[in-house]
Amino acid sequence: MFDVIGKRRWFFAFSLLITIPGLIFILLTPFSGGKAGLKFSIDYTGGTTWSIKFADRNVTATQVRDELVTLGQADATVAKTGTGFFDIRLSKLDLRTVEPTPTPVPTLTAPPTVVPTASAGPSGSPGTSAVPAPTPSPTSAPTESAAPTPSPTSAPTVSPAPSPSPSPGIVGGSQVPTDGEIGRIATGLQEALGPIAEQQSLSSIGAVVSSDLVNQAVILILVGSLGILGWITLRFRDVKMGVTALVALLHDVIVVLGIFAILGTFLGVQIDGLFVTAMLTVIGFSVHDTIVVFDRVRENRIRHAGEPFAEVVNHSLLQTFGRSVTTSFTVVLTLTALLLFGGSATEEFVLALLVGIVSGTYSSVFTASPLLVVWQEREDRQRGRTSGPAAARRASA
Amino acid sequence: MRRTALILIAVIGVFALVIDFWPRLRLPGLDSESGSRPIETKLGLDLQGGLKVEYRVVPSGGKTPTAADLEVVRGIMDNRVNSTGVAEPVVVTSGTDRIVVELPGVTDTASVRALVGQTGRLDFVPIPTSATITQGQDLDLSTVTNCPAGGTITSICILFSGDQLKSASIGSDQRGNRAVNFVLKSGGSDLFAKWTAAHVNEQFAIVLDSSVISAPTIQGAITGGNVQITSGNIGGFQQKEAKQLVDVLRFGALPFPVEELSSDTIAPTLGLEFFNKSLLAGAIAVGLVLIFMLLHYRLPGAVANVALIYYALVLFAIFRLIPVTLTLAGIAGFVLSVGMAVDANILIFERSKEELRLGKSLPQAIEAGFSRAWNSILDSNVSSLITASILYFFGSSVIQGFALVLILGVLVSMFTAVTVTRTFLRIVVAQEWARKARLYGISESEFTYRPTGRAARRGVTPGV
Repeated sequence: MFDVIGKRRWFFAFSLLITIPGLIFILLTPFSGGKAGLKFSIDYTGGTTWSIKFADRNVTATQVRDELVTLGQADATVAKTGTGFFDIRLSKLDLRTVEPTPTPVPTLTAPPTVVPTASAGPSGSPGTSAVPAPTPSPTSAPTESAAPTPSPTSAPTVSPAPSPSPSPGIVGGSQVPTDGEIGRIATGLQEALGPIAEQQSLSSIGAVVSSDLVNQAVILILVGSLGILGWITLRFRDVKMGVTALVALLHDVIVVLGIFAILGTFLGVQIDGLFVTAMLTVIGFSVHDTIVVFDRVRENRIRHAGEPFAEVVNHSLLQTFGRSVTTSFTVVLTLTALLLFGGSATEEFVLALLVGIVSGTYSSVFTASPLLVVWQEREDRQRGRTSGPAAARRASA
Repeated sequence: MRRTALILIAVIGVFALVIDFWPRLRLPGLDSESGSRPIETKLGLDLQGGLKVEYRVVPSGGKTPTAADLEVVRGIMDNRVNSTGVAEPVVVTSGTDRIVVELPGVTDTASVRALVGQTGRLDFVPIPTSATITQGQDLDLSTVTNCPAGGTITSICILFSGDQLKSASIGSDQRGNRAVNFVLKSGGSDLFAKWTAAHVNEQFAIVLDSSVISAPTIQGAITGGNVQITSGNIGGFQQKEAKQLVDVLRFGALPFPVEELSSDTIAPTLGLEFFNKSLLAGAIAVGLVLIFMLLHYRLPGAVANVALIYYALVLFAIFRLIPVTLTLAGIAGFVLSVGMAVDANILIFERSKEELRLGKSLPQAIEAGFSRAWNSILDSNVSSLITASILYFFGSSVIQGFALVLILGVLVSMFTAVTVTRTFLRIVVAQEWARKARLYGISESEFTYRPTGRAARRGVTPGV
């Protein structure tokens, strides 16, 4: 019979091996000024992402980037996708500098007048008879002539409505902005590189949301972990099981974060607003395997009361190993399908889930359970030192 | 008991099928005003394209917006959005100071955004006789003070602001031409009466955010607070102009300024692409799970597959009923939940196999599988519910979409993977043809079919 518990030092070593490099890269994030470690999307940093396609298919990413630099966006990043779209990321571009357009401007063709009315209805009010005619121009005094023909002075107001001129209609895409800072950049790009044929997406996030998100993510992960700790402790009536399950969870969180820190450093993979969702889902799911093992440990402990705890745990692990792998396998199956066929928008999200769930299965079997044995044995030893006979009685109960 | 379960499953199944596939079904509204609502699959902005903007209501004048203020701002924004004629807009409050506006299918984002997000400081500004103001002109009011109590003025001043407006509507003047009426509250009414009495034939401007919306000439003393603006055009204002002016007067000013925190524009073509891709991925994922379960668990796997399809139909029906807005993340959540839903079955079947190998008869082993695995299934699902609920209650709207799908998925799967699978499996194992070892993936020697307890007589202890 394979002895997982007996080889626990190897598994602890392996856990350290996969968490420590990740941990180093995670810790690099604050110290490298964003050069290494986790790469945050604009959800966390604020900024703008923009996906556009030029009518001229020969425009290159370098050209777009150079043009953006001349337009004052020195830290713009540009990538050209397979479909000819440019994914542009601009940091700290504040879209809110868009001047508020006084949109519902009435396009009056002649200056209006104010008359007092008793009610909204047309029934005669005292004041109305005194001013029966609308004034044709703001400067001229009201006249008795009720001729509604506008005087020459009122003609200029007939001129174009001051509403924003519509940009050229774009089939299928959304309209390229013309207002504000982003509008200025769009105009500049089009002047230099020809018209923008299509705009797929434009997202802009201010710094307030971003700083919220980081705090929120940390708090959510903490609250989630504590919730699981509480639930396991409550259900198994054993704080050791709760805490070892929690350690396994933190192991998974660090593995996922670490892998994204490494991927971020070398491939520029970003973590976005959905990342915290993936983390919490991993926390909720990866504990499933731990629960299955612990449930079996609880059962076998009663059934085989005389056996050493390490052996009971080892039996339980081996008995449930097949289903731990199988349950994770079905989830891995669905996530792999999503990763391969689901498109780029949820790629990072699905990858985080995938890594977390694989790590969760490993940590349930090879981290949480051996840790439980270590803790239990230490407790038993201490109890043995203080009151040997009591421990012996307990073991044979 | 078994018959009750079967009837319940059948009723829920038929109900789900009708909701899923019967076209043009309507759900009666809870209150008579809203009427009935069509049952349909709601797609999020990321799947159908459009504009989403998140605003923060900013404290001003030493006042922090309360929940009631937030609702007022939301209401005004909702009215502004509705005035643009966008189909199915969503304007909701979020947290203590956020308002999220979602406009599906909108491509002309600049003008909609400018309309919805403007704070709209509305001022009534008398114009000195030396100046002439035309509508549309910019008028910087940032340094302008309140008007003196009386007499002539040499520069513009603010008589009163939009907070003195009580109501506004489209009306008609005495000749039947279209006009705009508005009513002032008592404070504004008094000020306006005094001012108009002394300044007949002078101009005043209605200014929204430094832009002159209307610049009529005062025709006489206006007392009582009922004011009418008329146009010099034949027939008065055009319908559109009048409506726009009324809208500005009614919805022009928010009690607190708002700032745009984030915005998202997604082209409808991109949304469709996302939608198609995630549907394809979802179908492949579900197909793979079905194949795996059939190959790995044979007959019980087939029963689990029926339960899984049943699960998908019921969950989809719930999405359409509530309705749950499906987003990219939501679809991912749904696909993930399919992978998790079969986990309960895996735990049950593995346990049943174990019990079979220990010499229990097939019906006994299956019953033991269900009852022994139940603890683990419950604990696992509650763990998922804990984290999903945290996401739902504290996450942003995108996260909430995912979390809600996951929560509903876990709840529905506890019913389908346990009750539905057990009911069907009990029926199936009672059949003569189902009593073959290879249908359960174990060897002939380990297999016993006897509904009564041979295992009990043998006295075999399950476990190690």
